[in-house]
Amino acid sequence: MKFMKFAAAAATSLVLLANAAQAAEEKPVVGLIMKSLANEFFQNMLEGAKAHEAMRGDYELRAVGMQNETDFESQINAVENFITQGVDAIVVAPADSRAMVRPLKKAMQAGIVVVNFDVALDEEVKQQQGVELAFVGPDNRGGAKMAGDVLGEKLGKDGKVVIIEGNPGADNGIQRALGFEDSVKQYELNLIESRTAHWETEEANTVFSNMLTAHPDIQGVMAANDSMAIGVVKALESAGRDDILVVGFDNIDAVGPMIEDGRMLATVDQFGQDMAANAIDMALEVVRGGPELEGWVKTPIKLVVAE
Amino acid sequence: MTTQTSGDVAQEPRRVTLRSVLNNAGIGLALLALILFFAVFTEHFLTPNNITNILTQITINLILAVGMTFVILIGGIDLSVGSVMAFAAVVAGKAITLPGFGPVEAIALAIVAATLIGVLCGMFNGVISAYWSLPSFIITLGMLNIARGAALHVSDAQTIYSFPLAFEDFGSAMIYGVPVVFMVAVVLVLIAWFILNFTVFGRLLYGIGNNEEAVRLAGHSVYWYKVAAFTICGLTAGIAAVVYMARLNISSPIAGIGFELNAIAAVIIGGTSLSGGRGSVIGTLLGAFIIGVLANGLILIGLSDFMRQMITGVVIIIAVVLDYYRAKYTAS
Repeated sequence: MKFMKFAAAAATSLVLLANAAQAAEEKPVVGLIMKSLANEFFQNMLEGAKAHEAMRGDYELRAVGMQNETDFESQINAVENFITQGVDAIVVAPADSRAMVRPLKKAMQAGIVVVNFDVALDEEVKQQQGVELAFVGPDNRGGAKMAGDVLGEKLGKDGKVVIIEGNPGADNGIQRALGFEDSVKQYELNLIESRTAHWETEEANTVFSNMLTAHPDIQGVMAANDSMAIGVVKALESAGRDDILVVGFDNIDAVGPMIEDGRMLATVDQFGQDMAANAIDMALEVVRGGPELEGWVKTPIKLVVAE
Repeated sequence: MTTQTSGDVAQEPRRVTLRSVLNNAGIGLALLALILFFAVFTEHFLTPNNITNILTQITINLILAVGMTFVILIGGIDLSVGSVMAFAAVVAGKAITLPGFGPVEAIALAIVAATLIGVLCGMFNGVISAYWSLPSFIITLGMLNIARGAALHVSDAQTIYSFPLAFEDFGSAMIYGVPVVFMVAVVLVLIAWFILNFTVFGRLLYGIGNNEEAVRLAGHSVYWYKVAAFTICGLTAGIAAVVYMARLNISSPIAGIGFELNAIAAVIIGGTSLSGGRGSVIGTLLGAFIIGVLANGLILIGLSDFMRQMITGVVIIIAVVLDYYRAKYTAS
């Protein structure tokens, strides 16, 4: 009992202290909503945002992630909590491009600056709800096409390729698969099969081994992320095939050596670490009275191949 | 009186073993039918390379399912094995990439780390659920989250890579086309089979699943047997982690999501009863084969991902319904 009282008192004084500090400095508060922090990509993004907060020092960052990629209810809750807390800006990577439109509209009506990054909200739903909101982010489709084009260039017309997709329904996964298909069309490749491996190495290893058995004449593989590309590379090694080209996406550390020694042909870096930080910069501009963002503010992507 | 009860308990498994031979014949026939189907309808199914592939692909599930069999036999369940595998793999991944060790020391360190993590997590599940007689379903659901969180925390959500070459060689080694990692799994099956059929400990596990009170009245400490069953399950998760690392040459903190369900499916398809006391690890071996053959064959046939998922679900339900009739038939 005594302990509880003490804890309550301590908590109250902490809150008071925090409020006092806030009032004294009047730093704008930015709420950052990301997807699964179990994903390397968002973990790096969070690190980047924290470093950015420390470097700029003129705003306060409150970051929220989710348990897994499909748990978008917790994102909606996070938006509502930020509205209650009265943050100045919300910077959000939506887990679902449709479900997030309505809660974000509420935030905008509450006078909060909202910046949508990483995955674009659905245009149709935005129109339906009468929401005008710019998108700051990379062109997943264009990026995938860059990697796919490298493969197309090497294989030429009628090259036999397969696609390893991300989670069915995940927007970035869909965009990347579309980008790969763009390359297939442009280089007149022969797309044999397209299957999901849920972004995961072991599943990609299994699924691709079986695809290779069914189609031993596969010449190229386009994986929607690098974790899956690693699984494909391992499958090729155990099958003793070094004649099949692999491209990936994300440029995670683990594929660095594979690009260098040629086990992978290319991957795409969309500078995830800077992505949240850039979006926060833009949000703060608007908070300080800068012009509203419009349309699609594209963030840099880079093709990574062996040097 | 006491000795008589004890005799009954010990007697029970022997009859079950005899029945399970008949049961396994049924599962074996189902597997044979699947194999024939895919052999006829696909071009590459029965090629040596594809058989090697299937053996590699079922290894991890088989190892997890062997441990799961112990837990399900005592009427429990372990939902944490996928997460525990990831946690063990990540800690072992950290250990194996420590600077300043030769490849042999690093690999030994990794194996010790992975099995230790597995054993500790399993023991925790067992102690908590047995001491307070709590449903293992909910305790291991808790462990599922603890271990997954720990895996992400330890690794900072990053994939750990660049392991010693010798480790990779072990992961892809074959003897006459049979992957060495699969042989490891088969050895585990044989050890489990021996323990469950020919040791007092194994028979008492069946006894606990059938009638826990009888075993207690016979003067045995049910508590320690339960803890042991969960610890064995954790140990197999640790061993699966080592195989995962050797096969893919990375440790991923998001590895093994949903693996617990595949392991449970293998055990149940293999004819072990979810309510405990009945089943065999040989059935589990066949169950793992059915799942693996199905996953492989349906891709070779060219079925879409979504159809594949649906058919796998249907097969699990059919297996459980068959199990109902099998139980009814053998009981009468």
